[in-house]
Amino acid sequence: MSSRPKVVPMRRPAGAAAASSPAAVEAARRDGLLVAIARAVEAGRHGLTWENLAALWSAAYFSWHSEDVDEFGRDAKFTETIRPLLEFLYTVWWRVEPAGVENVPADGPALVVANHSGVLPWDGVMITLALRHEHPARRECRMLALDMFALLPFLAPALARTGAVRASQENGERLLRAGELVGVFPEGVKGVGKRYRDRYKLARFGRGGFVRLALRTAAPLVPCAVVGAEEIHPVIAKADWVGRPIGLPYFPITPSFPLLGPLGVVPLPTKWSIDFADPISTAAYGPEAADDPILVNRLSEQVRSVIQRMIDGRLARRRSIWFG
Amino acid sequence: MGRIALTGTASLLGGRLLRRLAETKGAARLLVVDVAAPPAALEVRHRAVDLTEPAADQRLLDVFREEEVEEVLHFAFYAGPRRDAAHAHELESIGTLAVLAAAAASGVARVVMRSFTAVYGARGQNPAFLTEDRPLQPDPALGWVRDKLEAEQHAASFARRYPDLKVAVLRFAPLLGPRVHTFYTRILDRRVVPVLMGYDPLVQMLHPDDALAAAEAAVDRAAAGAFNVVPSRPIPLLTALHLAGRIPVPVPHPVAYPAADLMWAAGVGEAPGRFCDYVRFPFVADGERARRELGFAARHASRDALMAYLDYRHPPARLSAAAAPA
Repeated sequence: MSSRPKVVPMRRPAGAAAASSPAAVEAARRDGLLVAIARAVEAGRHGLTWENLAALWSAAYFSWHSEDVDEFGRDAKFTETIRPLLEFLYTVWWRVEPAGVENVPADGPALVVANHSGVLPWDGVMITLALRHEHPARRECRMLALDMFALLPFLAPALARTGAVRASQENGERLLRAGELVGVFPEGVKGVGKRYRDRYKLARFGRGGFVRLALRTAAPLVPCAVVGAEEIHPVIAKADWVGRPIGLPYFPITPSFPLLGPLGVVPLPTKWSIDFADPISTAAYGPEAADDPILVNRLSEQVRSVIQRMIDGRLARRRSIWFG
Repeated sequence: MGRIALTGTASLLGGRLLRRLAETKGAARLLVVDVAAPPAALEVRHRAVDLTEPAADQRLLDVFREEEVEEVLHFAFYAGPRRDAAHAHELESIGTLAVLAAAAASGVARVVMRSFTAVYGARGQNPAFLTEDRPLQPDPALGWVRDKLEAEQHAASFARRYPDLKVAVLRFAPLLGPRVHTFYTRILDRRVVPVLMGYDPLVQMLHPDDALAAAEAAVDRAAAGAFNVVPSRPIPLLTALHLAGRIPVPVPHPVAYPAADLMWAAGVGEAPGRFCDYVRFPFVADGERARRELGFAARHASRDALMAYLDYRHPPARLSAAAAPA
């Protein structure tokens, strides 16, 4: 470990800087990416060392990741880095038209319940953006992600960094008790992987876990209907025999995937709308009501019918998938 | 007041706890029960008992009776996986059984036992924060964790059978900080650290000062049951490696497990392949119960523990970097 560096780092008096890795990294982080590159280039003339390489690597990493995350892993800098891409999707690609955003409470816990569709969890990302940009209180919505996304390599860390949390009663309860706004998709895998011919027909709402969550934490339920997301990846058929061995609950076949390879993950530019309905208060029932299966079913069905009504209303008014 | 007996005083945590208690409770109240003698300067009584010998429980019973032991602090556990798995099993699982049996038979009032958050098992389905009532489901093929799990099961069954014996189990997050030398630090000390491609779990690293404070808080207290002892905040694995200036090399997990197993078998790896689960899935525990019932709240986040370790590991470089004009 005590290898003497062959390079004198830039702007340091000779001899003073025995730049072993953490110090070099510390310096690189202070100086930023450009200086780290310059130092690596300078070092390249004398023989590149591990220290310089590690410093460059580290500076590159921290140029788009923050050094600290919140307790669920949300990374403020990473979210900021990918924001332009998401905003492009929101404003240009899908031209999202939100309505009723003010129905989401301005503070305190609340559970946004939405229909799930679109193969990849873009609907969750767009709901988050709608609330962040259009809500008067600029609320940050923490999406509860399905296991198939929250455990998927590459996607899972990216979701966690942008604030999504694996869907489970414990995680949801912890977030709501901390007063956060939480988003759920009770349809789960049945919704996100539904075929094109089943679009906008809400699947079964799980076993009402989201209602129990809301009852236990006295958080109001805000039904939310996303229209447009169901057409971004039209699933013609499902090849489950491909998905199972690699740990996916389904393997979608769309007109462009897997035929066009990586191009197949580019979603179609449909026109989206996101509607939020009046919140349904759960505080009056008390936390014990979470164990009442009849009440849980009734509330679950109530939320489902509100969302289906909003979807049907939008669809009746919609003249084009692409232009709304 | 009876004596406080300590095992595992040759470990970092056990040794620091011994020194701290010698200051606060007085050396006369302490008794070291370990194969290794404590530092002579502490002037603490020492009874050499090998927990792995067949009649260890009988020996311990005699010692506990003769020395009028009131409380046992059982810290004789290995922090990392070992190649002599049979010895580790004798010490950790059977040794704990001997300590508990002797404690119950000699009328010891309290046992405080060291455990690890790794006993929860690293699983994708784990909640973001594991609470103490979560069932322990580690990979049974991982001997290092299985021995700890068995020790915990012994503790739970003794606590059920002997209601007068209060058993507190402290589940420590992996230690990282000054003077910590474990398989974690040996992996972290490499310039190039293999990671699993596409995975970046949150990890917890506990500063030894916090670990000591929690252990101290559990002494002389009628607390019973399991307590997570964790840092104030977790950190993503990759962020930690980049903060340390290491170069993470992503390895696809279907390759990583057998490769790690091969290296472990060849004697160059630090842990068997199944251990990859612990850098693939989270096992982040919640410290709320320890805060409520032991009055312990960690003063360091995982990031602080990492920085403290780096400060300790590379002191001259950091000094000179600080002295250099910016």
